[in-house]
Amino acid sequence: MKVFIHYALVLLIITGLACGILAMVNKQTKPVIEKNQAESENNARSQVIEGAVDFEKQSLKINETKSLDYYIAKDAQANVLGYTFIAIGKGYSGELKTMVGVDPDFKIKKILVIQQTETPGLGANCTKPEFNEKFANLTFNDLKVDKDGGNIKSISGATITTRAITNSIKETLDMLQKNLNQSVKPVQNVQDTLSVQQGVEI
Amino acid sequence: MSAMKELTKGLIKENPIFVLVLGMCPTLAVTSSVINGLGMGLAATFVLVCSNILISMIKDLIPSKIRIPCYIVVIASFVTIIDMVMAAYAADLHKSLGIFIPLIVVNCIILGRAEAFASKNGVLHSALDGVGMGLGFTLALVVIAGIREVLGAGQFLGMNVMPSAYLKQPMLVAILAPGAFVTLGLLMALMNLVKNKK
Repeated sequence: MKVFIHYALVLLIITGLACGILAMVNKQTKPVIEKNQAESENNARSQVIEGAVDFEKQSLKINETKSLDYYIAKDAQANVLGYTFIAIGKGYSGELKTMVGVDPDFKIKKILVIQQTETPGLGANCTKPEFNEKFANLTFNDLKVDKDGGNIKSISGATITTRAITNSIKETLDMLQKNLNQSVKPVQNVQDTLSVQQGVEI
Repeated sequence: MSAMKELTKGLIKENPIFVLVLGMCPTLAVTSSVINGLGMGLAATFVLVCSNILISMIKDLIPSKIRIPCYIVVIASFVTIIDMVMAAYAADLHKSLGIFIPLIVVNCIILGRAEAFASKNGVLHSALDGVGMGLGFTLALVVIAGIREVLGAGQFLGMNVMPSAYLKQPMLVAILAPGAFVTLGLLMALMNLVKNKK
């Protein structure tokens, strides 16, 4: 009986010490980590819209459960330079997050893939500048990969990553466009193109 | 055994990957490029040295029946502390190594060395064992990743090393999952061949 109490006590002391140390380290590092994350997101934001110094956070309510966060980019004179948002799509092996910058007329200025877990050598090449440059100056109706009749050249033949990024941007841009500027009507329904493309994929 | 021997045995003679066959999961997963292999190797080396030192220090206080849970708590705590400290004070390094750090917890080289070496030896020898084993792990990862990156992407550390005709159509399978198994198997066979000849 005594031996069990001994074991339990030793384990208790070790795990207790570990917990205490971890809690201390966490308390010290948490604010710094949060600051770093906000900084790197801000950094990505100012990369997609050049010259912007201030980003004003806005939230759009899409429906009961969904909302879309976007940022209004302003220069030093408080002129609106455009909007930035994060488009999230499902790639070949996980979530693809793309930071997108558009001008006030919703023409894409620049995109930056900020999170991806695609296949190295294939889909993972989506972080390279050669790929991101293909999206510059595109508008909603141009957002189509080559296999679907558009001009965005896919990274590899399967087109999974390219299509995921393109469609996620298209979908998010559509929501933003519809809610911000009722007069700009998209010609094509996103849901239609999406279902057609999924059919092709399989 | 002399201190020098503890340091060097991990490089070739008792190489954790090719000879002890430990830590296969991270080995297969991260060797798609040299920089990944190097990062994983060095991060694991750091944790290995820290955990070896601490475990050899507290080995007399831990009853042998509950030693494994104790080691796991020590290793997991070290990994978490390193993860948090790196994220806070070395954000750039954390960005490139970040995905490997949680993988270190499941790296059985560290638990294996705690069990087989640090729990039976003094602090100095345990530290040297950790350095040697860690560097041996790093060396093996860099060799595997080097072969895979050169064949699969025509690059080494991100620089083009193959003729441009090869770059257009590299042997892509080498950096995909099957390439990891094939490369590892061939390298192990080569190690055994050399050892048997002696």
